[in-house]
Amino acid sequence: MEATAAKPEVFSRKASGLSRVMSPWSAFIYNFLTMGVIFPWTFVWAPEAFPGVSVWMACLFATLLELPIALAYVWMATAMPRSGGDYVFQSRVLGGAVGFPIVMSGFVIWILQWLALAGWLFANLGLAPLFLGLGVHYHSTGLINAGIWAEGKSGIVTVSIIGMALMATLLTSGFKNYVRLQYLMFIGTGVIVVIMLAQFLRTSPEHFAVAINHFNGIVDKNPHYYSWLQHDVSSTGFNISPKFALGATLLAAPIAWTSTQWATYSVEQGGEIKGARVFKNQMFIIVGSLIAVGIVLALIAWAEQRAVGTGFFNAASASYYGAISKSGTGIGSVLPFPGVLAIVISPNPIITVLVAFGFMLASLQITCNCYIGCTRIMVGMSLDRTLPAWFSKVSSRFRTPVNAHVVYFALGVLWCIGYNYSASWYSLTLGVTFAAGYVFVFSSLAAALLPYRAKALYEAAPGASLKLLGIPLVTIFGLIGFVAGMGAEIAFVTKSGYGLKGTTPYIVVAAIIAACLVIYWIGRTYQKGKGIDVSYAFLEVPPE
Amino acid sequence: MALFKKKDAGSKQSRLFFATDIHGSERTFRKFLNCAKFYKVDHIIMGGDITGKFLVPIVHEHDSHYRTTLQGTTETIEGADALAAVKERVETLGFYHVTVEEDELHAMQADQGEIDATFRRLARERLERWIALADERLADTNVKWYVTGGNDDQPEVLTVLDEVKSEHVVNCEGRVVMVDDLYPTANCGYSNPTPWDTPREVDEDRLEAILEDAVKGVDDFTSAIFNFHVPPYDCTLDDCPKLDWSTDPPSPVIVGGVAQSAPAGSHAVRKIIEKYKPLLALTGHIHESRGLVSIGRTTVINPGSEYGEGIIRGCIFTLQPGKVVGYQMTSG
Repeated sequence: MEATAAKPEVFSRKASGLSRVMSPWSAFIYNFLTMGVIFPWTFVWAPEAFPGVSVWMACLFATLLELPIALAYVWMATAMPRSGGDYVFQSRVLGGAVGFPIVMSGFVIWILQWLALAGWLFANLGLAPLFLGLGVHYHSTGLINAGIWAEGKSGIVTVSIIGMALMATLLTSGFKNYVRLQYLMFIGTGVIVVIMLAQFLRTSPEHFAVAINHFNGIVDKNPHYYSWLQHDVSSTGFNISPKFALGATLLAAPIAWTSTQWATYSVEQGGEIKGARVFKNQMFIIVGSLIAVGIVLALIAWAEQRAVGTGFFNAASASYYGAISKSGTGIGSVLPFPGVLAIVISPNPIITVLVAFGFMLASLQITCNCYIGCTRIMVGMSLDRTLPAWFSKVSSRFRTPVNAHVVYFALGVLWCIGYNYSASWYSLTLGVTFAAGYVFVFSSLAAALLPYRAKALYEAAPGASLKLLGIPLVTIFGLIGFVAGMGAEIAFVTKSGYGLKGTTPYIVVAAIIAACLVIYWIGRTYQKGKGIDVSYAFLEVPPE
Repeated sequence: MALFKKKDAGSKQSRLFFATDIHGSERTFRKFLNCAKFYKVDHIIMGGDITGKFLVPIVHEHDSHYRTTLQGTTETIEGADALAAVKERVETLGFYHVTVEEDELHAMQADQGEIDATFRRLARERLERWIALADERLADTNVKWYVTGGNDDQPEVLTVLDEVKSEHVVNCEGRVVMVDDLYPTANCGYSNPTPWDTPREVDEDRLEAILEDAVKGVDDFTSAIFNFHVPPYDCTLDDCPKLDWSTDPPSPVIVGGVAQSAPAGSHAVRKIIEKYKPLLALTGHIHESRGLVSIGRTTVINPGSEYGEGIIRGCIFTLQPGKVVGYQMTSG
C-alpha cells in the first residue's frame, strides 16, 4: 500500500468535534525553546572534556544521535496523543512498575534540578550580563556591583524563587496565558540568535581580543584578559590548540545530546496539541524542531569559535568548566556563553538589553517547561491512581491542576536552596542529563515493543502501515534509539568527562529510582485496600 | 422481610463500568463489552454518541485495486488483504465504509439524500450487529449493557435499540431503569445547542423540561444515578476550545495568537443536578475534559473519549446505596 497526494473523498455528517488548544506550530516552538538553543552547555563543556573536539560537528552528530529516538517518538505521539507522554508510553507498553519509577524519578524529581538551574541561568546569563553590560557602558560601579550580586548565591536564590513563583502563578492562571508568553519567548530567542550570529560573523579574534580586554578591564580590572586567560590555562599543561580529533568529536556528541534530547518534550502535553494524531504534524513538531535546533547550534558554535579564536574558545571552556587555572583566579565575572560574549563584543545598551532580556525570557521558558511537563505527568499518574487523586484536582476557577503546581513550586524552592547552598547537591547538576536520558531510552524501548505489547494501539496509529522488510519502522527506530541512547548513558557512567564524577551521583540516581518504586508499591497496595486495582490503568482491554 | 432485604441491600457493593462517546468505533465497542469480564464489574453503562461521524467510500479502480481517503491521505489499496486491513482501520476509527465504483462515487457526491440514507443504513446495521455481539459475549452472565443515545445519534438509528430483542441490552433512552436493582438511573441523550447543529440538541429551556421528565420516575435520589450525556455547565468537565459558530466547520477563537477556551456544558443539567442531588452523574460529550468533580453530594464524571485510537476510556465505580465507595479512571 502506498500513500499518494491527498484528494478528500470522505463524507461527514453533522456531529460534534474535538478541538485542542495548542497548534502544531506552538508545539514546535515549545520543543525548540526546550532544547535551550541559547544555553549551549556543549560550548563550555566539550572542549575541556574532549580536547580536539569540533563543537559544531558534535552538535550535528548529536542531532543524528537523537534522530532515531525522535522518529520513534513520532509513532508513540501519534499512537498515544495523551497528556503525561513518556509516563503513558512506558506504563502502557512496559507496565506501571517500569513507567512510574522511571518517569517519576527521571523527570518529576530530577527536573526539579532544572527548575533550580533555570533560576541560576536567569541570574547569571540574564540579569548579571544586563547589569554588567550597562555598567560597563555607563561606567557605573553600582550597576556592576548589582551584576556581581546577581551572580552570587543570595542573588541567584532570590531571583530563582521570584521567577518560580511568577511562572507558577502564570501557569496556574491558565495555559492560554502561558501560550501567549511563549510567542514572546520565541521572538526573544530568535532575536538573540540573530544578534549572536551577527556579532560573531562581523568579528575577528583580533577585534574580539580588544573588546574583551576593554570589558574585563572595567569589570574584573584585567585589561589583558584575552591573552592572560589563554596563558593561565596553557601554563597548567592543558593544550588549548589541539588538532581536530574525530574521536573526541564523536565522544562530545552525548554532551550536545543533553540539548537535542528534549526535542520530544512536547509529548508530555500530547492531549493539548491540535492534530496530535496526524503523522506529519508530529514529524514537524518533533523531528522538525530537532533538525532546526541542531543546525542553529552548529551554526552558533562555528561562528563563535571563528570569532573568538580557537585558543580562547578552548581556554574559556577549560577555565570555566574544568576550573583549570594556574593562578587560581579562574574565569572571572564574564561567563563564556555565546550570548554574554555577544554583549562583550559591543556592550552598547541596545544589544545588552536585548540579549539579557532574551536570556531572561528563555530562562523563564525553562521554568515553565519544568512545571508544564511534570505537572502533566503527575496529573496522568494521579488519574491512574498511582499518585493520590488530590494531585489531579482541577481548580474550578482557573481550570488548571493547581495542587500539582503548588507542590512542584514548593519542591522547587527546596531544590533551589539546596542546589545553591550545598556543594554536594550542586555536584549532582549533571545527574539530570543522565536521568532524563534513561527516560528517553526506556521510551525508545517502549516504541520498539509497541507493535507487540500494545498491538491494538499500534494498529490504530497512522504509521502502522510503515514497515521495512516486514518489520514495523517504529520497532527499527525504537531499537536504534534504544541502543544509541543506551550508548550515551553508558558513556555517562564510564567516562568522567561527562560530568558525573565518582560513584555518589550514581548512588543518588539509583536511590531515587528505588524510592519511586517503593512509592509505586505503597500506592498500589493502599489502593488495593480500597478495591482499586492500579494495574487496570495500564492494561489494554482485549477487543476479542 | 423488607427489613432483612434492606439490610442486605445496604451492605451490598455494586461495581459498574461507565464509558461514553465511542462514536461507532468497532474496536472500542468490542473492548467495552469485554470490560465486564476484564474489570470484574457487575454491569456496563454506555453514555451516548454511539454512532459514527464519517462515511468513507472505498473506490474500486480496476481488478483488485482500490483507493480511499483516510485521515487526510489518499491511499492506494492493492489486494484482498490490504483491503481488509483498510476496512478494519476504518471501523476502528468509528467510520463507516462503502465500496463503490467510480461512477457511484460521483453519484453520491451529487446527492446528499443518498449519503444520508447510506449513513443511516450503515449505522443501523452496525448497531444491530453490536446488540447481537453483546448477547453473544454476555451470555451465561448477569451483566447488562445499559445504553442511551447522545446528541450526535440520529433518532432513526436509535430505534434499533427498541426494535431488536435482547437478553442483555437495556435501552435506557428517556427512561428510569434500576441498575443492579438498587440504583434508579435517569437517562437523557439530548444536549444544549452546539456549533455543529447535531441531530439531538435543543435550547436550555427545552432541555430542562426533557430532564425533568427523565427524572420523574425516581423516588429516592440518595442512590440515584443521572446518565446525562452533557456535563453540567462550568464544572471543569465541560472545558473545550471556544469556537466561532459562524464558520463551517466551526473554528477555534484565537485572541492574541492564543486559542480561547470556554465551558460548553448545560445550565439545565447543572440546575437539575443541584435540585435533585443524585448520588452520581455520568456525563461525556466533551471528549477532552476527562475528570471527576463533586457538585454538592453528587459525584460527576466525564471519562473522556479516545475512540479514534481504539481506546476505551471509562470509569469503574464501586457503589453502596447512598455512597460512592471508590472509583478508578481507566484507559484500556
